[in-house]
Amino acid sequence: MTSSVSPAEMQAIVLARDFRSDDLVFQVGANLSTARAACVMANLTTHPDSRLLLGVEVENLNGGRSVPPVPPFLFHALGFKGGEASMHQSRVFDDMSRPDVFFVGGIEVDRVGNVNLTGVPGEGDTWKVRGPGPVALATMSTFCRGYYILMGRHDSRTFVEKVSHITALGDRKRRTELGFPGGGPRLLLSPLGVFDFDDAGSMRVRSLNDGVTLEDLRGATGFELVVPDEVPTTPAPTDAELDLLRNVVDVDGVLNEVASRPAGASNDGTTAKVSAK
Amino acid sequence: MSETYASRTRVDVDLSESLGTIADGAIIGLGGTLTAGRPMALLRQLLRQRPKDLTLVSPVASIDVDLAVATGCVRRVITSYVGAEAVAGIGPIFRAAVERGEVEVVDRDEAHCILGLRAAGQGLPFLPWLGGVGTDLPKTQPEMVEFSDPITGRTLLAIPAINLDVALIHAEVADAFGNVQFAGTGHTDMQLASAARKVVVECDHLVSNDEIRRNPNLTYFWRDTTVVRTPFGTHPFASAAINVDEVALRDFVSRARKAMKGDTGELDAYVNDSVYGAMSHEAYLEVVGLTNIVGLLT
Repeated sequence: MTSSVSPAEMQAIVLARDFRSDDLVFQVGANLSTARAACVMANLTTHPDSRLLLGVEVENLNGGRSVPPVPPFLFHALGFKGGEASMHQSRVFDDMSRPDVFFVGGIEVDRVGNVNLTGVPGEGDTWKVRGPGPVALATMSTFCRGYYILMGRHDSRTFVEKVSHITALGDRKRRTELGFPGGGPRLLLSPLGVFDFDDAGSMRVRSLNDGVTLEDLRGATGFELVVPDEVPTTPAPTDAELDLLRNVVDVDGVLNEVASRPAGASNDGTTAKVSAK
Repeated sequence: MSETYASRTRVDVDLSESLGTIADGAIIGLGGTLTAGRPMALLRQLLRQRPKDLTLVSPVASIDVDLAVATGCVRRVITSYVGAEAVAGIGPIFRAAVERGEVEVVDRDEAHCILGLRAAGQGLPFLPWLGGVGTDLPKTQPEMVEFSDPITGRTLLAIPAINLDVALIHAEVADAFGNVQFAGTGHTDMQLASAARKVVVECDHLVSNDEIRRNPNLTYFWRDTTVVRTPFGTHPFASAAINVDEVALRDFVSRARKAMKGDTGELDAYVNDSVYGAMSHEAYLEVVGLTNIVGLLT
């Protein structure tokens, strides 16, 4: 297939490949269209028994259900229509053993996977840079079985040694000390590559996106990454993956046009295209 | 015999009378989540009354907060998010005001907001929660306190109660006696209302008490409730009646961004035409225009 794959499409496909076989409940927050697409892909293929919490709609799309288009806004009073249940925001935090998979965006991330979406504190009570706010990050990252960190940018201002404000505690050592029920961050996806966390909880390069070198990556990262002896290129989408994503899940091409970005990241981001094999 | 019964007092009033006097420094809850269910007719009425030093509370807010901040009446915002997703990742006016130190933001995770409102409704000073332990939220928000659970000894976070003076909410259906029914899940409006001393509900449809009785299992009620009929009252945000007016949101954000760069003319014009100049909800709908409203119908 000779067509260009956008970073957002690539991100959705990498996510859909990584879900664990026993993940049953996927919860998607606002402004995360790649995560939504990934969950729908998984539900239609590898995870037919899963439930997707998409805004106020709870979905299982198997059995010939029509796939809802990716909406510009997550919440609507009637957003549950067509789903098999409605997600009651007032009650969703009453069953914290339920969510398996969650997705987290950030304005900063650090070596051990702590994420900042709140902002960069200034002097006293002020904010030098105000972020979107914690949304549900602190709670969901504590409880869900595993989460994915989706970074819309990768540079030394966003990938920092220590985040200036911890909104989601990724640090494996601290999580263990505090007895958190959730499993912490599984992967981090950025425009440059895919990362996981080693046994000590340090961020490790899993693969580099097509055309990205280790030098590029080191220059764009404000801390020392764990780099294995061999770093593969992120496997290109297969024809089947692209066909499912473009012709079933994202027929309007939302991911093909819009660069992936977390809530609060710049909306002026350009859509760099990488070529598919 | 009907004359043997006392007559029940109606609580439906005109929008202009719905809020009464709002004290300086009042703590106001705003219903809805993100771009859905926002009580905009009530918010515009509130802003027309030129209140001062308000605290706004909304678990997951949108750029309704920006509009309020633009009028200069907001001192503090308690929320987990202010923005409009892809249209504005962060509310631009809110962001600028916070970075300039003009507006204080009380950071609460979405669950913290709901727990804080629940604590208020339950008459408790706080509720315990695990989410947020180990983060920097208790450091920048010292009124959230980590404490040792007296039963297990593990570290928990005390989420302080959020007591409201007034909760403003939008519902699809209400009657003249303060019986309220949502077409959807009602977001976290029931928690907001239970945390408030006074509840003001704007509704798309003001129906009879008999109509309410067709679905009594859907009814919410609170002790002190006022009802106002404001069809399409969430505009430019969504309700069961209308979809989000994305064009209007993008237009507002564009004006807001220009204003934050010093060119305030377009934003001032919006506030003058849509808030101060529209003395009733019907006048506001005239500004929006029938064609636009029809295009948004669900």
